[in-house]
Amino acid sequence: MLSLLLIILAATFFTGIIIRTKSIASGRKGPGVFQPIKDVVRLFKKGSVFSETTSFVFQIAPTIYFASVFVAMLVIPFGQSKGLISFNGDFIFFAYILGIGKFFSIISAMDTGSSFEGMGASREALYSMFAEPAFFILMGSLALLTGYTSFQEIFSALHLGSSISYALAVMAAFVFLMIAMIENSRMPLDDPKTHLELTMVHEVMILDNSGFDLGLILTAGYLKFAIYGAIIFNLFSGTIAYEYAIPLFFVMQLFLAFVVGMIESFMARFRMNHNAQFIVVLSSVSLLIFFGALLVSGKFI
Amino acid sequence: MIELINLSWIMALLAMVTIYFVPANTKASITKIAVFSNSIVTSYLAILALIGQTTNFIFAGGNLLGDVLIRIDGLSAWFILIINFTCITGVLYGSEYLKAYTNTAKKLNLHWILFVLFQLSMVWVCMIQHGLAFLIVWEIMSLSSVLLVIFDHNNPKIIKAGINYLIQMHLSIVFLTIGFIWLYFQTGSFSFEAFATYFATNSNVGLFIVFFVGFGLKAGFIPLHSGLLQGDPAAPSHIAGIMSGVLVKLGIYGIIRVASFLVNDYLLLGEIILTVSVLTGLFGILNAAVHRNLKKMLAYCTIENIGTIGVGIGIGLIGLGNNSPILYYLGFGGALMHVLNHSLLKSLLFFSAGSVSQHTNTSDMEKLGGLIKQMPRTGIVFLIAAIGICGLPPFNGFISEFLIYTGLIEGIKLSNSNEMILLSVSLAGMSVIGGLSILTFTKTFGTVFLGNARKTFIIEPKEVATKMLIPQYIIILMILSVALFPQFYLQLIGIVISSLSQTSISVLPVEFATYISILQHISMYSILFYCTVLFFWGIRALVLKEKTKVIDTTWQNGYSASTAKMQYTGKSFSKSLSKMFNFIVIERKHYEELKAGEIFPKTRKHASHYHDFFEFRFIHVITNQLIYAANYFKFFQNGRIQSYVLYGIVFILTIFILTVFNIAI
Repeated sequence: MLSLLLIILAATFFTGIIIRTKSIASGRKGPGVFQPIKDVVRLFKKGSVFSETTSFVFQIAPTIYFASVFVAMLVIPFGQSKGLISFNGDFIFFAYILGIGKFFSIISAMDTGSSFEGMGASREALYSMFAEPAFFILMGSLALLTGYTSFQEIFSALHLGSSISYALAVMAAFVFLMIAMIENSRMPLDDPKTHLELTMVHEVMILDNSGFDLGLILTAGYLKFAIYGAIIFNLFSGTIAYEYAIPLFFVMQLFLAFVVGMIESFMARFRMNHNAQFIVVLSSVSLLIFFGALLVSGKFI
Repeated sequence: MIELINLSWIMALLAMVTIYFVPANTKASITKIAVFSNSIVTSYLAILALIGQTTNFIFAGGNLLGDVLIRIDGLSAWFILIINFTCITGVLYGSEYLKAYTNTAKKLNLHWILFVLFQLSMVWVCMIQHGLAFLIVWEIMSLSSVLLVIFDHNNPKIIKAGINYLIQMHLSIVFLTIGFIWLYFQTGSFSFEAFATYFATNSNVGLFIVFFVGFGLKAGFIPLHSGLLQGDPAAPSHIAGIMSGVLVKLGIYGIIRVASFLVNDYLLLGEIILTVSVLTGLFGILNAAVHRNLKKMLAYCTIENIGTIGVGIGIGLIGLGNNSPILYYLGFGGALMHVLNHSLLKSLLFFSAGSVSQHTNTSDMEKLGGLIKQMPRTGIVFLIAAIGICGLPPFNGFISEFLIYTGLIEGIKLSNSNEMILLSVSLAGMSVIGGLSILTFTKTFGTVFLGNARKTFIIEPKEVATKMLIPQYIIILMILSVALFPQFYLQLIGIVISSLSQTSISVLPVEFATYISILQHISMYSILFYCTVLFFWGIRALVLKEKTKVIDTTWQNGYSASTAKMQYTGKSFSKSLSKMFNFIVIERKHYEELKAGEIFPKTRKHASHYHDFFEFRFIHVITNQLIYAANYFKFFQNGRIQSYVLYGIVFILTIFILTVFNIAI
């Protein structure tokens, strides 16, 4: 329950911080931190335009996408306190419930019958497919390391054994950050600020969404960032008491947003056909973590 | 009990005779009655078996067969129920699907008679515990399925596919025959009990592999999958649904049945099955992602799901080898659950795809598009099945995927580092399969049902008759029941598996109960997801009520003359994937380059299609060599009667001389 509240709070400023960091890095003052939220509120107030090609799929998809991110958010624990949904193997549920949202966002792009939106949809499907094994190998190795299979138990038992686990946590944090970038189609893979449809991934998928639906999709994106931020925080939090953990959580989220902003400011995006290779690299980092976990648990001969 | 079974097959035979004599429009009704009555009887016995009352009796098979043991135990019961359900929905759908053929009584005769026989033989395959009788019934099943496939036998392509399928299915029988004969010579018995005696004293690997190959040909493990690819796309949709839904599962039944008699070498066999299965899954889904023929894509998707089931079996065997009961139960439980789920989902997919292809006369996705406007119900049915088969949560596919995933993760906690690495790589493989399924089915659904129509049809496609939709709704109800009450099904599977095992692990492990409650939780969270969607949908409806709503064209980047042909196609959707894996999905293009100096180019064609890796790289290479070699002996077949008479005389003389001089070769 606590995590739900904290993630929603973090989501309000996460994207704002990214934008602010980018502005300052490029020598501008930039909009306020809460500007993205204001944008969403403005969208909620607006009317909508629907394409004449679309069917009910296009109408319902943003809602399902948002609901899937919302339910996924309930799985995330906060340190010692469980998420609302917690059971053995809940991370599988987490990955797959995000999958249903992705499914609908992809088919909603296909629903417009556009010559561009399918392109983004195809890329989204491809990239998230490549990111899956990284997530699963990572969670599998954390399960191996701790002997548990639910988010909350894994995270609270992560640092009890050995301090090497912090090294693994750093690598894991890298993987999760990159998965967050892929899920949200951010910089090394996709430039959210690009103006060329042919090079867009996520943006081109939602070209036809407007008003309330677009607001839902954007909000889901903000929440996704905060969700992954919360997972990364959990990697390090261990068994810290709440009075330290809660401020630390926000510091962590701010730091992550700052890192994302810096990456976006000082890195060029990859060429489209290099993206897949880059994402596969994540799986090999996950494999490194797996072998690290084997070493730590003394099972590697 | 024996009276009931006798009644069922006698009734089926009577029905088969009756079908021949009744007029064309009532043939389907007789088939329905026969299928229903056979299903009721065998399902009754199967349910008895599931609540612990195994049916056993001896069927006197005369001098040839000896005593044939017929037994309906848990495993048979599970498969019999699935077969019956799919056959009932299949016959309901099929009777409407074939309405258009009422004027071709001959075709219908053969079709419906064989349909009854097909169901009867599939059910009997699950009951017979005697090698020779099993082979006979298996052969009847294969033959009837081949003849059902070539319903449209005026089409030479379908005949060719049918013959190919026939040969592949007989390869399977060859291996099974070898296996049973091997068993017979070692133990002197054709009874299934002989497995136990053989495995107790001999190495388990060899014989099991022979049976795995035999049953694997039926199930469609790579590299033995090509029979499946020939059969399913050629068959009428209800037959394709039954074949993909349950016929291939009988291969799985056979593998599980033989595996239940194993006594050692679990680890090695488990690792083999796991590796083959993960590769099967990856290969299947990768091909499914690139193919543009709806039915071919579904056939490849079946291969993928067979892989997923195989992963479960592999985990189960590894669990046996490690003396880990929970792994055994999770593995086999996941496999059996996926057998159920896949049979529901795949028959639903084939039925709805059949509705599409019947109303548009094509299975080529690239010619379709925007069908959800003309066929909204079929579209929704296909969408539900597509989400389910991707293993996504609010439907049943997730239940079995979850069991298999947890099996893998439980397995990673084992002590042996070899297995751990294998299992974690399998975990990665499974997740790639999951991701690719999403790509495949968003592509298919998006291309076929969404967007604009890519081709104008002379007869505008319209929604199918309600009678055709009813069997599909029944399947959806089953899907929802698995999704919302998985604990019930898992409990049943627990009973099935504990009745199956001959080893020490016949007691349900304690952890199994926790998994039942976890599944219960998952179903609750599925409901939570439905509620969340409804909640936000409600908010959206409230908000949008007062807002302006404008209908306009799709955003076209300033270009105002875009046509339906400019839509993103299925081919381009999977193009970057197929380019990345071009060493597995082999693409061949046929086109003419523009020549230098060709100032006024004429209309030209561009064709591109994907070849199956194993067919293209291995099977065709071998068969081409064979044909080449066989060419040298062509002179035998010279068309002169005199020579043929001579061959006969030479043959008879040889036999005569050999017998006279008592020479044995």
